[in-house]
Amino acid sequence: MGEDREILREIWDGRIPISFSLSSDDCCTLSPPDPHYLMVPRMSYFPIVLDKVKKYFTRSINSDLKIDEIWLDFEGIPLKWNYPIGVLFDLHTGGKTIPWPLTVHFSNFPEESIIRCRSRFIVLLSCHSIYREAIESHFLAAVKEADAFKHRGQVVKNMQMQDHKQLWTGLCNDKFDQFWTINRKLMDCNGEEGFKYIPFRLFLKDEVPIQRLQKPFGEDGSRLTLEDLLKNVLPRTLNENYRVTIQGIEPPWDTPLQWLSEHLSHPDNFLYLCVLQSEL
Amino acid sequence: MSEDNAGKDTSNSPESEVSISASLQGAAKEEKYSEKDSDLEISKRKVDILLKATGDAPIMKNKKWSVPCDRTIGSIIAFVKRYLKLQESDSLYIYVNQCFAPSPDQIIMNLYECFGADGKLVLHYCKTPAWG
Repeated sequence: MGEDREILREIWDGRIPISFSLSSDDCCTLSPPDPHYLMVPRMSYFPIVLDKVKKYFTRSINSDLKIDEIWLDFEGIPLKWNYPIGVLFDLHTGGKTIPWPLTVHFSNFPEESIIRCRSRFIVLLSCHSIYREAIESHFLAAVKEADAFKHRGQVVKNMQMQDHKQLWTGLCNDKFDQFWTINRKLMDCNGEEGFKYIPFRLFLKDEVPIQRLQKPFGEDGSRLTLEDLLKNVLPRTLNENYRVTIQGIEPPWDTPLQWLSEHLSHPDNFLYLCVLQSEL
Repeated sequence: MSEDNAGKDTSNSPESEVSISASLQGAAKEEKYSEKDSDLEISKRKVDILLKATGDAPIMKNKKWSVPCDRTIGSIIAFVKRYLKLQESDSLYIYVNQCFAPSPDQIIMNLYECFGADGKLVLHYCKTPAWG
């Protein structure tokens, strides 16, 4: 895997320029505040990167609004905080709208379309950490789930709490080496054998993401490719009008799945495939 | 083979297949899915889930349920809480493979396809985090 380390680095360094504007519903100043611009890692999650945005808009919102009730929409569609930012960007814009214009809200949380950050994990907590703690548990649960696909969960089971912590802080602080020192273990593929199954989530716009079992190698030992996965998961809907992006890239459909999983997965170890209808 | 095992499972505690779609309706209001053809096709299907208590969680009298496969884990959590008469504010955790806690917005279909065995998906529930 040595020579492909550069690719891991390139993927890790992917950034998206975003312009955040305050929703007019929540603005309490006569003239709305200017948008706030940030370069945000594709690999990260909104709860990790929104601190500056919260701080920026604090003075422009009513004091009775809770800063941690923050949520975002793009063209009226609420964004799910539990998916990586790059995936949301590819799915909602096709990777085209730069900077990505998002509206920031602090009220009317859309319960029906986004899960609440705190409902799942947190019982007692200090207000300021709601978002971060929730996304941390969410992230680590996804890492465990991915390992259940790859190694029946054995690798993650043998890790220590501090390893989990290091994965998380490596991601939060954008420290490539810190993250990969641990993540390497999760990418162990038993020499030539490959993962048991490829952990992936396939997104079609406006639909629930799809997860299925997908082996990296065929019965005869041949390497299975992106095209094999697409045929397995979307046998009827697939045609040449579809574009498939992973990490904002359109990999050739004959790219081996094992390689994709090792190099283009998100930090939670899932490969996120966005299937978009091409514009004619 | 698998039928034998299933038979043993039921010998101690009578399990009955009951559709919980009606009782899940309250929870289902939380979710809205666009009713496209493909979605309709999926939502017609039902799969069997087996709900097993872990730790100090109370046992459910009926463990085996037939669930529309577009149900979310969040709605199953809400259902188990209502069934066990827990408070809204009580925590309830659901695990797959005694290994990971799926996201509340994950649908049963995905978990069944990937982690189901012998025609059913086993979910463990508990009141305190069990497997991290």
